[in-house]
Amino acid sequence: MTMIQTRKYQKSHNLILAGITALLLTACGGSDESTDQVEMPPVETTPPVNLINANAGGPDENKGDCDATTEGVNWNALMTETCRNLSDYNLFQDSMNPTENPSNGGVAFNLAVPLFTDYASKYRFIFIPEGKKINYSQNEVLDFPVGTVLVKTFAMPADTANRDGEELIIETRLLIHRENGWVARPYYWSDVTDAKIAITGKTIADMTTTHKGEVKTFSYSVPKASACTSCHSVVPLSQGADDIRQPIFKPIGPKARNLNIEHVYHDSTANQLQYLADNQVLIGLPTDFSTIDKVDIFNDDLDITTLPHEQVMDTARAYLDINCAHCHRSELTIPEANYAGPAGGSGLQLEYNRDYAENPQRFGVCKVAVAGGHADYPADVIPGSSDKSYLLFRMSTNEQRHRMPELGRSTVHAEGVNLVKYWIDNLTRADCS
Amino acid sequence: MIKHCIFGKQHWKKSLILSAILATLTLSGCVDEGSDGANGIDGIQGANGADGENATIDQSMVTSSGFAFPGDAIFVQPFAVDGDDITDELVLALFEIPAGSTVVLPQGNFTVSETIAIAAADNFTLTGYGINETTLDFTNATGDDGFRFEGGINISIRDFSVLEANKNGIKVVSANGVYIAYTGTVWNGPLEADNGAYGLYPLQSQNILIEHNYAYGSADAGVYVGQSNNIVIRNNVAKNNVAGIEIENSTMADVYDNVAIGNTGGILAFDLPGLTQAYGGNIRIFNNEIIANNAENVGSGAVGIVPPGTGMLIFSVSDVEIYNNTFTDNETSSIEIASYFLANDDVAAYPTTYGATMTDGWSPLTKNINIHGNSISRSGADPRGALVTEIVAGYTLMLGQTMPAILYGGVGESLSNAGVIAGFNALVGADALADGVNYDPYLAKDLVCASGNIDNNSAASSLEFPEVNIGVVYTADPTTPALAFDTVQGNSHLLNCTQPRLAPAVVTFRGKKYGCLGDDIATLACAL
Repeated sequence: MTMIQTRKYQKSHNLILAGITALLLTACGGSDESTDQVEMPPVETTPPVNLINANAGGPDENKGDCDATTEGVNWNALMTETCRNLSDYNLFQDSMNPTENPSNGGVAFNLAVPLFTDYASKYRFIFIPEGKKINYSQNEVLDFPVGTVLVKTFAMPADTANRDGEELIIETRLLIHRENGWVARPYYWSDVTDAKIAITGKTIADMTTTHKGEVKTFSYSVPKASACTSCHSVVPLSQGADDIRQPIFKPIGPKARNLNIEHVYHDSTANQLQYLADNQVLIGLPTDFSTIDKVDIFNDDLDITTLPHEQVMDTARAYLDINCAHCHRSELTIPEANYAGPAGGSGLQLEYNRDYAENPQRFGVCKVAVAGGHADYPADVIPGSSDKSYLLFRMSTNEQRHRMPELGRSTVHAEGVNLVKYWIDNLTRADCS
Repeated sequence: MIKHCIFGKQHWKKSLILSAILATLTLSGCVDEGSDGANGIDGIQGANGADGENATIDQSMVTSSGFAFPGDAIFVQPFAVDGDDITDELVLALFEIPAGSTVVLPQGNFTVSETIAIAAADNFTLTGYGINETTLDFTNATGDDGFRFEGGINISIRDFSVLEANKNGIKVVSANGVYIAYTGTVWNGPLEADNGAYGLYPLQSQNILIEHNYAYGSADAGVYVGQSNNIVIRNNVAKNNVAGIEIENSTMADVYDNVAIGNTGGILAFDLPGLTQAYGGNIRIFNNEIIANNAENVGSGAVGIVPPGTGMLIFSVSDVEIYNNTFTDNETSSIEIASYFLANDDVAAYPTTYGATMTDGWSPLTKNINIHGNSISRSGADPRGALVTEIVAGYTLMLGQTMPAILYGGVGESLSNAGVIAGFNALVGADALADGVNYDPYLAKDLVCASGNIDNNSAASSLEFPEVNIGVVYTADPTTPALAFDTVQGNSHLLNCTQPRLAPAVVTFRGKKYGCLGDDIATLACAL
């Protein structure tokens, strides 16, 4: 498969230069629709073929300027400036539409199991400067080069049954990998023309959507910029009185296991990791895909009762991973030694790649809450007794005191609760008394 | 500062309408724009600052505890009036705050509508005008904590109060150098289950100095330090919480000169299973006033076990020295020492339930507890609490005694001495084993000892409290409670031993040493 794709890329080099990218993408799928290209003269050399960031440009040594007019992405501004308008960065071909058509250097992606944010739709893009490469990582977030920008736009569909239909674009969050590390910049779409920097966040009191026929009205919170660290930073596990390491800010979602799904690119469909590798922006991807963890897709339309037991249990772990483990992790999914998520200290640690059998207590099994707690829920997870498990209660409530995750959720994710309930009820029973 | 200036001058120039933002950025140190900022706030210190139009060298530049604001301090909304919501300006001032900054909260009573998160602060000071002069009400806030510091080096938090936080008042995780002083965390009204959890809450941190604070009304612990090392907690008042002051899975902690009054339990030292820092130790609790800790226990989770009427509870932790404290009017017992077996007596299930954390060194046992020179009066007037129901019945109903003022469960020791749990040794990891964690029969160095404690009942109160006793529930036989007792003063056959003194804790903060080997080296408490 890979060989075939490579050959077709080579043949179609002239087409790329001509900008006929859609045709090429068709060819990537390996279908027989690429007959046009067979007629092109073969290219003797093997120049890099790259639909993502060839000619995308990149940051240089110069200080950025939010008012600069750039043909593509305003990389220098991203690297040094906090611009007032999202459009100042020129990330999208249509500055009023952050949901598609990224400027050169950007590529869309999805996650197999996403973080729940009040049933919002999310449009994700990775922007990689020209010539830069992402390094593969088995368990951690992919190792993105300096200059990378991860862009996520949140939109509330009028009806979650029709996510391609009417929607309200709410916010666009940037994670920018600068020389000194990652920074977060949230932008709020106060009107449809552009998004403005929202350092202090924003509360939208009367957000509504229809989900499975039920109208939900809730207060949607655009997190303030400093709140980003609550989920995105890992903190040092102190190694002594002289340990003065500081937290490290990191992306969360784009891990190999969560990217290891098919994605529709214009007219072709490809595995996201393979696509990045084929376009030569991802290096180190194992040729044997069986060595890459793969999380099954979970969405609100899945009926878990129709799925194999093992898949549901695994998906529940993936759900806990993406929704909880950015905080509830300790020493796993972090390449730097002796770091933990900000809530690793609670003792609840839910990384996908943590071995459950080795220490179920890390998953909250029979673990008493360290801070607070609730009299009706004596342990975080009581296998077989989801109704007495504090973890599930915290997912199921909107009380500020107890709700989890702390940020980004004003509604209860019924489908997620149902998934984790299944997991708890199907763990090997234990009497935690 | 430079960054803020660039930030302010070049790319916010279109945002004049956002006067609030500009005001804060100006205050953040854009000297060149500050002289006539868009909304008329003068100078880097505001109008009341040394270079402002109303410049005076007066109390507006000094907190009620005597802390003088530095010349480059950033003043948040200095003209705010009582009742104002200062959230946005506070967030702007704190956003990517440069190292060495001081942020001053305004004087008065304000509201905050969201958790304030501050990451990787470096030599940063957050101050108000005083514990009573600056109050921040989180009643209608979203998020769980009032303030949350993530990471950070040499953070100073002082001179304000946090009211009615949804969960924790001020949480600090993974910092090195935490100074919290003259700060209040308060949940007003009766102590109820839905009051907040922890008031002052450093976690997984190093070099923690907590002094002159006031913690009131927490449904968990007013002052809590967890999974941390090198800790001094002194001169605080913890009132009407479930736990007044709690040290959990922490090492090298000195707790002295505090007042714990009206809590369910006054001062607690715990090691809980399953945490990253599996166990603590070397905790000294001395010269504290521990008064009438008789509140009903509205807590849940680990703290929910604390019997109302507990002066001090030493639970499943080893290497603790308790001395020269004054206990008065604690209605169950003044000092309780228990292994984790008191909370979970399914001994056979421990390897299954706690095996991994036992490998890391957590132990249900409590060893080397040295109780000396404490003064105890009017203890055990109304003993109660689910954890001790049977023990209370044994001593008071069966034996007709006053509930022992120093109460030691003893079951862990008797299980160890009987060889019943020697098999647990196989679980203990190499590091923990080398650190002395084991389930062998107790040696002299492992014993719980009491010496030189004082029966301080007056002639009048001794009518109501005829005995001031030490009680040991289990002695030789781990299956049958012995309900042994001896006098607290001049005990001859129970806990009659002493242990070596423990080393003082030392906190290093911004290059200075604090505690009994630091700034308090010549004080009374440290001479005890």
